[in-house]
Amino acid sequence: MLGIRFRRAAPDPALPLLVPVEEGGALPEGASAAADAARFKAGVGRLLDLPAAPRRALVGLGRAPGRLDCERAGVAAARAFGSVPHLLVEARSLAPAQAAALASGLALGAWRFDAHRTRQEGPRLGRVTLLAEDPAAARAAFAPLEAALRGTLLARELVSEPANHLTTRSFAKRLEALAEFGLHVDVLGRKRLTRAGFGALLAVGAAAETPPRLAVLRWRGSFDAPPVALIGKGIVFDTGGVSIKPAGGMAAMRADMAGAAACAGAMLALALRGSPAPAVAVLPLAENAVGAESYRPGDVLRTLSGRTVEVVDTDAEGRLVLADALHHARTAFRPRAMVTVATLTGAVVRALGTERAGLFGNEESLMASLAAAGEAVGEPLWPLPIGAGHRADLASEIADIRQCVPAGGAGWAGRFIPDASHAAAFLRDFAGGAPWGHLDIAGVDTQEAPHALGPSGATGFGVRLLDALVAARFEAPDHHAAP
Amino acid sequence: MLDIAFVKPALPRSGALVLPLPEGELPAGLARAAEEATGGLLSRALDAAGFKGRKGQSATLWAPVPGLARIVAVGIGKPGELTPEAAEAAGGAIAPLVASEREALLAADALPPALAAHLGFGAMLRSWRFDRYRTTEKEEDKPKLERLAIAASSVPEAKSAFAPMRAIADGVFLTRELVSEPPNVLDPAEFAERCKGLEKLGVEVEIMGPKELKRMGFGAMLGVAQGSAKEPRMVVMQWRGAPRTRKQKPVALIGKGVTFDTGGISIKPAGGMEDMKWDMAGAGAVVGAMAALAGRKAKADVVGLIGLVENMPSGTAQRPGDVVKTYSGQTVEVINTDAEGRLVLADVMWYCQERFDPRCMVDLATLTGAIIVALGHEHAGLFSNDDELAQRVAAAGKGVGEQVWRMPLGEAYDKQIKSDIADMKNVGGRQGGSITAAQFLQRFTNGRPWAHLDIAGTAWSSKDLPVAAKGATAFGVRLLDRLVAEMAEEG
Repeated sequence: MLGIRFRRAAPDPALPLLVPVEEGGALPEGASAAADAARFKAGVGRLLDLPAAPRRALVGLGRAPGRLDCERAGVAAARAFGSVPHLLVEARSLAPAQAAALASGLALGAWRFDAHRTRQEGPRLGRVTLLAEDPAAARAAFAPLEAALRGTLLARELVSEPANHLTTRSFAKRLEALAEFGLHVDVLGRKRLTRAGFGALLAVGAAAETPPRLAVLRWRGSFDAPPVALIGKGIVFDTGGVSIKPAGGMAAMRADMAGAAACAGAMLALALRGSPAPAVAVLPLAENAVGAESYRPGDVLRTLSGRTVEVVDTDAEGRLVLADALHHARTAFRPRAMVTVATLTGAVVRALGTERAGLFGNEESLMASLAAAGEAVGEPLWPLPIGAGHRADLASEIADIRQCVPAGGAGWAGRFIPDASHAAAFLRDFAGGAPWGHLDIAGVDTQEAPHALGPSGATGFGVRLLDALVAARFEAPDHHAAP
Repeated sequence: MLDIAFVKPALPRSGALVLPLPEGELPAGLARAAEEATGGLLSRALDAAGFKGRKGQSATLWAPVPGLARIVAVGIGKPGELTPEAAEAAGGAIAPLVASEREALLAADALPPALAAHLGFGAMLRSWRFDRYRTTEKEEDKPKLERLAIAASSVPEAKSAFAPMRAIADGVFLTRELVSEPPNVLDPAEFAERCKGLEKLGVEVEIMGPKELKRMGFGAMLGVAQGSAKEPRMVVMQWRGAPRTRKQKPVALIGKGVTFDTGGISIKPAGGMEDMKWDMAGAGAVVGAMAALAGRKAKADVVGLIGLVENMPSGTAQRPGDVVKTYSGQTVEVINTDAEGRLVLADVMWYCQERFDPRCMVDLATLTGAIIVALGHEHAGLFSNDDELAQRVAAAGKGVGEQVWRMPLGEAYDKQIKSDIADMKNVGGRQGGSITAAQFLQRFTNGRPWAHLDIAGTAWSSKDLPVAAKGATAFGVRLLDRLVAEMAEEG
């Protein structure tokens, strides 16, 4: 991660300098002519290079900037100063919270995934020194943001790792390493999964060389209450299985574990900032491979819950592994709330594009909290329905439920399947009535172009949202307690 | 079409007796009378059939007493908890059960008269069928029931509650007929001609053909139409029902009326293409709503505008890559000729706001397949630039059982329709396809309060629904009627 320091004085006045300015606020001396010429109005994330040596640039914060504005400005600045090894930031006019958020944005924007590069491509932004009136106060404000930041970067790294490096085994190992931060990590292997009856997870992972795993991460918190449970889809690679995907774009399927990565990142954030809220992450890890042991369309699986599922399409594997994970989370931990996070359906991308993730659930107030958390941190959601018809569509002729609806129904409309709602309707059955929210992040886990909160590539979507959700809703022992 | 008549309670001597029964004891009145007339057989038979009065349950007793062909019991749930919507669903469930009788009496005497009316409304809506083109159907297969008598505790009250429902049903049936008509029959000219029928209800109807549209500069709409041998039409309907003392800006309803959509040069796959005859369901709903409003003499000023075209591939058809100039002056690069609905709506919407200065515009269109991927078939997609209007539309839909679900708009989506050579392009890619379609339309609202209903998933049903047999649903007619009632007729 970008090295970030808050100092009262500049270590070296010859460093390139970034000056954040508010919309309508005063510009630094000598900057107004350039600002006028370039029509720079200090809108959020707008940059203006001033004619100076060493390099000096303004970044706009917008009007009355809050956390998100400052973060976005930081991301934009990091992009502009990407090849500056050490950047100085004039943050003395900012409140500590604003300076902290700007720093968080700089780190989000400067992140790169270089694990598999063998050659350095020139200098990189590696250090930032923020000048602050009260460095201690800025540092204190930065601490909780840094926790979410580190969680986000962990998720980005995991998502970026290719599937030959991030297997179910190595994913589990990397999760076990989080014990260092105070998380309790337990990984269930094939034997324990078989004994317990994780029929769906085992079927999805059956054809792969590396066997399925269930990683359970626990954060004790500081009060005695049922935990909030985060359940993330961790398909380390998704070929589609026997219902194999088209070749074009299949490489992106290394990111099909972004839900699990987001949950792991959120757990790390909670641990790093010492959240009082007890929490648990239940992460089913599997590779959906093609092989002689593959499960088939038409198979009937017995899930951990005892419910049987008719498989229609082996490429709808996420909901299967989540079904077992949800049931385990619910029965093993009696959580006060459960949130599933998954790159679950192409349908949600069709519905909402790459701007917003789909939000589903069975409890309005939990859904409202999730939506509010998403807006607050710049990971926006949009609610989508689970209608009676969606559940009715999942009636199976030979099992308790079918996993999805085959494409190609009657008429013109038969081509269009509301699969995101179907998947959510499926999962709801396995939530068993506990308060449950579900984020379908298939459109937002990776961005093709640089975006408001980072460079192109893995976004870490969900970490900041889940951290904010826990902070807003679950850090009081009795408030919103499950009945 | 099934007619509804309200009568005083008396046990019928022939045909069918229909009893809407709540859970628990038989209600006083005709139900008890039937119990006595059958010597207690009614309740014993219902017990034996496992009938408990729950919603969705029904049971039939054949020839329970001499003369009477059958008694049909239909569950209406817990006593005193029947909602208007549930009453309509119960009425809808009754219709097919007694369709083969010549006479039927529905015993609603134990219910409030308004609910008796809703029962009748549901039965009427559900029993509509389109059989203009059946020539060989056997007599015994045809429904026989022409008139459903409903016994009400107060006949005048039930009648007056039912009067507006009858007008709304007429609007619904008009829409269903338009939507069901095959595309070789219902081309733009024929569609426009049928709109003329609204004149007898007091609606002013203007029809504009290609000459006028060309003169005015409807470049987008004409671009869609140019591949077809059928001429396009725009129909402008005005209902002036607001009292002189309460004149206000009209509510504007706008409908997409593509009488057949092949996709044009960006032609659709063959499978299911026959369904594209109902790509005019938005326009159909607007016409039906105008008929309903005029039929019940709504005290509001409402304008309805529909753009009617056929989208065909041919030597004269518009090409992907063409740039057209809309009536607004904005230019559009046509990337996909199968995204034609928004081109038609763009011109009609701009014209509407310019000519009528409406207080709000609501457009209905079978616009995108993506809305089915997003929502399925239980909700239409609602997009709006005005939260209050959106809330009103959603409430109106909920009130009449035509549910809508709000979908997002936003700058990021708007960017998806940026064109390299024109003001915009007509598609924004597969991702968020319903949203980018709505963003396109928003550029033709001129900032007016506007709501857009994407009804591609709800205009046609592949299975029977509570108050509509499979086929055309007329989704939107009742919603628009309710919206006008609550928005423009209040106070």
